[in-house]
Amino acid sequence: METLYNENHGWLQNWLNRRVGCPALAADLAQDTFVRLLANPRPLNNLSAARSYLRTVAGRLCIDLWRRQSVEQAWLEVLAARPEALNISPEEHTIIVETFCEIDEMLHRLPEKIAKTFVLSQIDGLTYKQIAAQLNVSERTIKSYMAKAMLECMLIEARFHHSVS
Amino acid sequence: MPQPDLPAHHILQQAAQWFATMLDEDVRQQDRDQWQAWLNAHPEHQRAWHYVEQVGQRFQQAQQQAGTTGARQIIHDTRSSRITRRTLLGSGLASVATWLIWSQTTLPGTARQLAHTLSADYRTATGEQRQLTLSDGGQLWLNTATAVDISYTDTIRHIKLRDGEILIETAKDALARPFVVTTLQGSLRALGTRFSVQQRDANTQISVYEGAVEINATTGQRLTLQAGEQTSFTASAIAKPHKAQHSRVAWQQGLIVADNISLQELVEELSRYRHGYLAVDASVANLKVMGTYPIDKPDHTLTMLENALPIRTRRVLPWWVTLEPDH
Repeated sequence: METLYNENHGWLQNWLNRRVGCPALAADLAQDTFVRLLANPRPLNNLSAARSYLRTVAGRLCIDLWRRQSVEQAWLEVLAARPEALNISPEEHTIIVETFCEIDEMLHRLPEKIAKTFVLSQIDGLTYKQIAAQLNVSERTIKSYMAKAMLECMLIEARFHHSVS
Repeated sequence: MPQPDLPAHHILQQAAQWFATMLDEDVRQQDRDQWQAWLNAHPEHQRAWHYVEQVGQRFQQAQQQAGTTGARQIIHDTRSSRITRRTLLGSGLASVATWLIWSQTTLPGTARQLAHTLSADYRTATGEQRQLTLSDGGQLWLNTATAVDISYTDTIRHIKLRDGEILIETAKDALARPFVVTTLQGSLRALGTRFSVQQRDANTQISVYEGAVEINATTGQRLTLQAGEQTSFTASAIAKPHKAQHSRVAWQQGLIVADNISLQELVEELSRYRHGYLAVDASVANLKVMGTYPIDKPDHTLTMLENALPIRTRRVLPWWVTLEPDH
């Protein structure tokens, strides 16, 4: 592990810095990547296998970070748009950001129309008839969209569930 | 991806199918009975259904925490920023466009409600400043003691300046809705731009730093103000434009920039950020002042002035300060 770290840390940090454009952040992410590897060790026999694995893990961390940032940004805007000041504890804030990160994870794999359908149903509380009218498809189609979306969401929910517990 | 703890895939599929059936507003009693029978048939079915419930709860939580409009906005923003990133990496643009259009297209029934929720009052207290990102990505800075209403509807982006001063950087709108600021004296239509507007007691002061702004005074006078110009207008007349001073928007950086202005003018500016009454003795009111002063420390600024000019402050009452000659 030490050799792996010594051989690749500088390289990874540079690679990350090119992606995120911030040396401090790149250093943090490089650190996180190695921590992941420590927590979940695997045989990496040669340099190219090691680097390809590090790139994958680091890339995933970048995406998590970007998503978290965009969720956070969007949530702050929603808060700012409220006329009344809200008292939200840091814990509540984290939970909300977490919730929306997970929802994004669930929805982003779905084709657009299916994702829309699911949001219109679960967030806006629209009926199948109303959604069908808005998206200009049949109610039967909406029903099949709902089943597909739910299945995808269940798989993600299960993954979250297991990674937490 | 192997997930040993998960119910078998076909059971998850059945659960998702039942979810879609049960949610249908036209669900029949017969369907309900069958669902109940399916659920009771096997513990694995119940386990699969548990995931359905969890997903439902997750969305319910999101809706409760951020409100319907808020939740939609967060979901949409996150998705579109993800798509934008992907686009930057070289995929198609079409998906961004359609998603954005969807997010802006509302049902006739909910359109009014949406417009209503997005229309909110923003205020700053004396000495406070605030920056807001508008839903189209534009930026709005509120200076001290400012109140605005923001209303974005399907056809217009409208900011009503009730009091105080704002600086605006407009963003290009996907729906090409006009961007309009109204004051007590008239309305301003932005033509792709960065500009500041101040509601004063008797008139509106406007400075344009980029692009142009069309002024429409209430009684019908019109003028297009170009970048680098400033003017003021009342309900019936628009003053002749003159050169805009960039120092006027230094407040955005928390500064007052005095570029050879009179002490009187500086004190008027300073008073906007400070509670209480600030007066200048006539014998020193016309002294010229240069320098940069922090907005958040008005009393510190007074000390700086005392050091730079032949003046001293006299505190009549804690909230009443007079600047007078120092002799």
